[in-house]
Amino acid sequence: MIAEETLVQELKDKNSQAKAFEVLVNTYKERLYWHIRRIVLDHDDADDVLQNTFIKVYKNIDGFKGDSKLYSWLYRIATNESLTFLKQKSKKMGIGDQELKDRMVKNLEADVYFEGDEIQLKLQKALAELPDKQKLVFTMKYFQEMKYEDISEVLETSVGALKASYHLAVKKIETYLKAD
Amino acid sequence: MKKDKKNSFNTPEGFFENFNERLMARIQQETGSETKSIIPKTDGFGVPESYFDGLTPKILSRTTEEKGKVIQLKSYRKIYYGAAAIAAVFLLIFGFNWKTETSPVTFDDLANTEIDAYFDNNRIGMSSYELAEMVSFENVQLNDILEDDLSGEVILEYLDANVDDLRDLNIEYIDYE
Repeated sequence: MIAEETLVQELKDKNSQAKAFEVLVNTYKERLYWHIRRIVLDHDDADDVLQNTFIKVYKNIDGFKGDSKLYSWLYRIATNESLTFLKQKSKKMGIGDQELKDRMVKNLEADVYFEGDEIQLKLQKALAELPDKQKLVFTMKYFQEMKYEDISEVLETSVGALKASYHLAVKKIETYLKAD
Repeated sequence: MKKDKKNSFNTPEGFFENFNERLMARIQQETGSETKSIIPKTDGFGVPESYFDGLTPKILSRTTEEKGKVIQLKSYRKIYYGAAAIAAVFLLIFGFNWKTETSPVTFDDLANTEIDAYFDNNRIGMSSYELAEMVSFENVQLNDILEDDLSGEVILEYLDANVDDLRDLNIEYIDYE
């Protein structure tokens, strides 16, 4: 696997940019897809947002200073793109954020690319009730198994605050799932 | 019963012999209860077959598309010349026959129509941001170029919906405390 620093250098060099970008896409497409999918829920929406994320990365790679890891920079862009997408969607539909989240979960019942059972659907309903940040922390830790230190770089939040957020999210979800 | 020589405390028979065993059982019990969470381990999302295989070419083709969109300022000027030339031809044709037309087309209408149509029907490859960057709006208020004045409420609503971080606005904050 190519070292991150080398990849960044190659991405900034016009001669090697195309090849390096292909490596970048191949390396991160699946991880970023699942991150985005867990925010926007719908496959087609996730596909759109993922493509926009990579286009944004391609256009802004010169602006990447290397203060954070490339990995967390990509996640940060994907997260922002996903949240902006949802905000624009709710605005277009003329509904509030919470109503959009409720509709998104309702749509899962008829989604051919959602193979979840009753408990997994209930989990999505529980997640829709959480504040955005708590939901992000939970899915990044629980499903994506990211380290707190990495999540901290992506969400620009202290590890302590993330741990508190995660445990609060787990409690809320468990309470929701236990309720009839 | 086992007695400590230095004090009068004692422990049940076999306490230290099976301590490790009891400790390990306790650890297993503790960690076991954590993994027994009712939260499912997977979330049930799926993707179309071979989705990830076709993704890379799709994204790469979009980057070449984006590259192709960059155009010279000169060609933008050509659009106006082209539109003006078409408008002039139409003006000549309609100008000679103006008496027979029920609603004569003026030069201004025609030019605007042609220019609008050109922008509608052709990919000029410029975003609204790029267009805005080309046109100098120094000393021009936003309301000078809008047909209807924007109320403060509308502006705030727009900013609320489209600006995630107020820092993006590059406003200098003054702390009044």
